[in-house]
Amino acid sequence: MTEDISNQLKTSFLFRGLPAETLRAVAQKVGTHKLAEGDVLIRKGDEGDSLFMINEGWFKIVTQDAQGGELIINQTGPGETIGEMALLDEAPRSATVIALSNAKVLELKKDAFQEILDQRPDIALTLIRSFSSRLRFSTTYIEKAIDWSQKIAAGDYSFTENTQAIMKSGGSDDDKAAQLLSAFFKMVKSVKAREDELKQKVEKLSLQIDEARRKREFEEITNTDFYASLKEQARQLRAQRKANEEE
Amino acid sequence: MSKGKIVSIHSFRGGTGKSNTTANLAAQVALAGKRVGVVDTDIQSPGIHVLFGLDENKMGKTLNDFLHGKCTIGEVAFNIGEKAADADGRAKLSGMNLWLFPSSIRGREISQILREGYDVNLLNQGFQGMLKELDLDYLFIDTHPGLNEETLLSIAISDILVIILRPDDQDFQGTAVTVDIARSLDVPNLLLMVNKALPKYNAADIKQTVEENFKASVAGVLPLSFDMAENASQDIFSLRFPDHEWSKALRGVSQSILEIK
Repeated sequence: MTEDISNQLKTSFLFRGLPAETLRAVAQKVGTHKLAEGDVLIRKGDEGDSLFMINEGWFKIVTQDAQGGELIINQTGPGETIGEMALLDEAPRSATVIALSNAKVLELKKDAFQEILDQRPDIALTLIRSFSSRLRFSTTYIEKAIDWSQKIAAGDYSFTENTQAIMKSGGSDDDKAAQLLSAFFKMVKSVKAREDELKQKVEKLSLQIDEARRKREFEEITNTDFYASLKEQARQLRAQRKANEEE
Repeated sequence: MSKGKIVSIHSFRGGTGKSNTTANLAAQVALAGKRVGVVDTDIQSPGIHVLFGLDENKMGKTLNDFLHGKCTIGEVAFNIGEKAADADGRAKLSGMNLWLFPSSIRGREISQILREGYDVNLLNQGFQGMLKELDLDYLFIDTHPGLNEETLLSIAISDILVIILRPDDQDFQGTAVTVDIARSLDVPNLLLMVNKALPKYNAADIKQTVEENFKASVAGVLPLSFDMAENASQDIFSLRFPDHEWSKALRGVSQSILEIK
């Protein structure tokens, strides 16, 4: 059992750098829970005092919109970690997490976690490294998003032409920043498409006829003897042709 | 008098692809089994002969000779179906009933006719002669851009007038005047064709805008095409590249012409 749990801990970004022996120590402090569809794992506003790792099943992360309705922020499943920040800070839960199916989760209480840290201060350093590398990863994407925002503000969409290739739709928790950037990128594409469409409409409407000039040019051509005789000739020609057809 | 239809192809400004369109429409209508004539009345700057593979050496009598009373109109007719199968596209015209009435490309003869002028009525007799002698179903007239006398004549005697325009302000303005003239001259059938439409525009939008502005039907919106620009001057593009978007849209226009009773 402890072995199973420590194997699972290893897949989490938080614990992946720890030696096997330490993982086993952590695993011993971990509890397991079973949930049924609709069960609430975390309630928004509650005190955050433990971290959960999903073993089986799926959860929705929800908050409330301005009208008090349910707003689903994300869905999460096996291998994902929920509420890891609670191990370090004192802030209340920022969202509610509800099971979408029967589920199994591992729970690591804050107190138990503190105990481990007291016994093994070296773990703290590994954890700080994990958080730091994740932060750096996110920062890179945020910098990218800032750069793009500035370009869009200046009307420069050229980056959309050669950026598609590096975007991937990430699934793991680590990729949240990448997912944000990917969503941002899709948004830019659709904004650009709308802008292009509007531009066309503007260009289309700009096709205008100067009616005064149209009238003047028409009169210049038609107020001649040549035109009058041409018009008469054409009339006769058509009449003759019509007569021939009726024969 | 013949029952053949006169189809004038006009554009207010140059560079709309008028000669190319005329040649391609005539070729498509001939391919549909009709007896077709094409006459180049752009005496100042003739060009359509090139598309049918005709050069100075092959060219016999011209419209200029007819207008100077040097030959009959029948002698000007150059049989494309018999002689012009020397390029991939044109080869498809072998055995078709298609005749070209070219204008002279000799500089001396061009300057002579511009200097001395000619009887516009004689040109009209020429058109009627073409229809009659070759028993044509359709006579396509490639007009000179603008609205000079021979162009006004071509419009006046047309059964079908096709006005080609590009989607820009200058062409819109000129087309407006031409449409007014065509209505004043009681031209029975008026078709608009938009050519060189940038691919970023929506063809249906262009069609709607143009139709709303001129209260006339748009028979086709043909895209601006580099393939066309590259290949157009040597061969009949829609025969050589029948699956190209430009060719498909052009066949829509030739179909509209064939459907007019």
